[in-house]
Amino acid sequence: MANRMNWLQGKTVRKNTPSASHSRSSSTPQVQSTSSTIFGGGVKDPSGRITEYSSDDDQCPVCKSDKYLEKKLRLLVSSCYHKMCESCIDRLFTLGPAPCPICNKVLRKLAFTPQTFEDLGVEKEIAIRRRVAKEFNKRLEDFSNLREFNDYLEDVEDITFNLINDVDPVGTEARIAAYREANTALTLLNTQREEAYILSLRQAEEQDRKEKEARAEELRREEEEERQEKESGRREIIERLERAEGSDAVNVVRRTKRERAEREASRKGVAPGKGAQALLRARMAAAAATAATKDTPHIPLQDDYYAYEDMFVLQSTYVDPLSEAVRKDREGIMRAGGYRVEEAWERAVRSAVAGLDLWPLESDRDAFQSSHAFDPSGDAIMSAA
Amino acid sequence: MAASKTPLYEASTQFKNWRYSPQSLAKVRSSLNAAAVAVIRNTFEADEPGSSSAVSFLTPDEEILLVRLYVSKITQLCGFFRFPEEVEATAVSYLKRFYLKNTVMDWHPKNVMLTALFLATKTTNNPISLEAYTNNIPKTNPSDVLDLEFLIAQSLGFEFAVWHAHRALWGIWLDLQNAPDAPPNRAASQSEVYDAALRHVRASRLSDAELIYTPSQIALASLSMASPELTAEWAASKFPSESPSLSMLQSTLGSITTLIESAARPVDVEAVRGVDLRLKLCKNPEKVPGSKAYLAKKAEEDRKAEEKRNRKAAIDAQAMMEEGDPFGDELAGRLVDYDDDDDDDD
Repeated sequence: MANRMNWLQGKTVRKNTPSASHSRSSSTPQVQSTSSTIFGGGVKDPSGRITEYSSDDDQCPVCKSDKYLEKKLRLLVSSCYHKMCESCIDRLFTLGPAPCPICNKVLRKLAFTPQTFEDLGVEKEIAIRRRVAKEFNKRLEDFSNLREFNDYLEDVEDITFNLINDVDPVGTEARIAAYREANTALTLLNTQREEAYILSLRQAEEQDRKEKEARAEELRREEEEERQEKESGRREIIERLERAEGSDAVNVVRRTKRERAEREASRKGVAPGKGAQALLRARMAAAAATAATKDTPHIPLQDDYYAYEDMFVLQSTYVDPLSEAVRKDREGIMRAGGYRVEEAWERAVRSAVAGLDLWPLESDRDAFQSSHAFDPSGDAIMSAA
Repeated sequence: MAASKTPLYEASTQFKNWRYSPQSLAKVRSSLNAAAVAVIRNTFEADEPGSSSAVSFLTPDEEILLVRLYVSKITQLCGFFRFPEEVEATAVSYLKRFYLKNTVMDWHPKNVMLTALFLATKTTNNPISLEAYTNNIPKTNPSDVLDLEFLIAQSLGFEFAVWHAHRALWGIWLDLQNAPDAPPNRAASQSEVYDAALRHVRASRLSDAELIYTPSQIALASLSMASPELTAEWAASKFPSESPSLSMLQSTLGSITTLIESAARPVDVEAVRGVDLRLKLCKNPEKVPGSKAYLAKKAEEDRKAEEKRNRKAAIDAQAMMEEGDPFGDELAGRLVDYDDDDDDDD
């Protein structure tokens, strides 16, 4: 029993309230907490999202005082998982270890913890699991094969179950002690490994946070600079306007603005990589430059045909009933696709003179032989050309 | 004239592949006819020995007659659908060109005409939906039109662009306004000349003119039939007098005129009906669905395909045995039989 109480006591954390702060509490490790944040039972939660459990129906099973009469009623849980109010705890345990008024198990004042879960069974299970995990922290790497690791895990689960349900407490505690005896070095090593891992995680997190802050700072500084620049520019314009009496105000403003833009550009050019955007722009420009040098100029299809240009002169307009509808179309609906009557005329006149002086073929042409082939069924087979 | 450059018209497929002399035209048709007759005769003989002697096959001239009838049907259809002139002229060209690669005895011009017209609506950018097209033509299914489409496109060598005489006539009419001593409102006052010339151009589509002469020559000949003075005036403005081109043009116009005049005579429907009746008896039975020869050919094709598949399967199985792995080796190591397609129709 005493053994069992020890390990529970090791995790017991008292809320740092004035009523609980007395000479005895200073000898045990304490964690500072706000009034709304507790580190109850097996749950550690620095984010403060888990709060102490309490309800309006709370009633101390010892003194029967309840929330209705005692607004500040706060129930704590003993190591035997019985609840009682703070005043009862003070009354019963200030003078040293005393039996629990419900189960008669000997308790100390420090063995009381705030309640996190409504169900005390859960509270107990979490506490036990935390303790077991601390002792049995072997990893897969510590075993020669998966089977052994699984057997070990089953063993651990067995022990945990026994502890939770109070099955054979003595034998179970003996098993734990034996295990601890045999694996002290390894347990210590794994604990250190775990701590190192957590530390590295925390450091990475810290690093991230710092970088984010630095970036935000940088951005803020740039914005500030820009604002100042704008301000000074406006002042400059006003000053110049004061000095330049009589001359064109619009011109002065425009000149000043241009000068300022130039200064701005040169400043950005002088400070390369000042902002990520400037860097990006420079890179893009460089890429564009290389692409431009690589790209050979596009040569469109260059056909060199004689289009009978010397055979006709295209008029600017014709008397042409055929295209009248298109030309009279004021909204241009018929010309929507880019149709131009002039092009249609040109095509017509060109085809009027195309091949005018071509002699008709007089005799058999070779083309006839080459472009026709017949297969036995009488179907035409197109020549490859 | 720039001698080094190719003139545009001479770069066209119409000039390169669809230009014939009257003699070569006749020769193409007669050889096509002879080849088709030989094949069909063989088929008849294979079906029932001695049966072919009673069949009177079509002559090349009779084939032309039938095609001409269906050329005139295109005009009627285009009038019904209100297709532009370009569609009509293109479809006519397609139909004529198709029968320079195939014979009437293999493919009946009725179906070919419908498909050629449908194809022409698409190639001249005057599309119409297939349903709207076939619903307005009695006893025609969409499949009737589509089944032949690829065959026709293939026979045309996928050369869909056609230079048309009616466009050349329009160009001549426009260019006539450019003549130095032209009366200012000639185009308006003499529009009946243009209309008459256009009628002649349309008549020329029934003839072989477009396969022999250039569109501009046909257009000029049509104009000369309507107004010889205007033609002479325009021709003189294009060529220096006494040039050989001018005299050549004169003789060419003369021969085109005779062609058009002969084509303008209406088709003797009774004669064509007779031809069509005989065609029913002598058309290639392999192309008539349901006939004995058609089924035989189909079976033969199926057998060949089956044989090919079996051979391929055997080769594959053997290869698999040799490789040892029943699931085959990795793909990269396999030989690919490129010339082994199952749909070849030899």
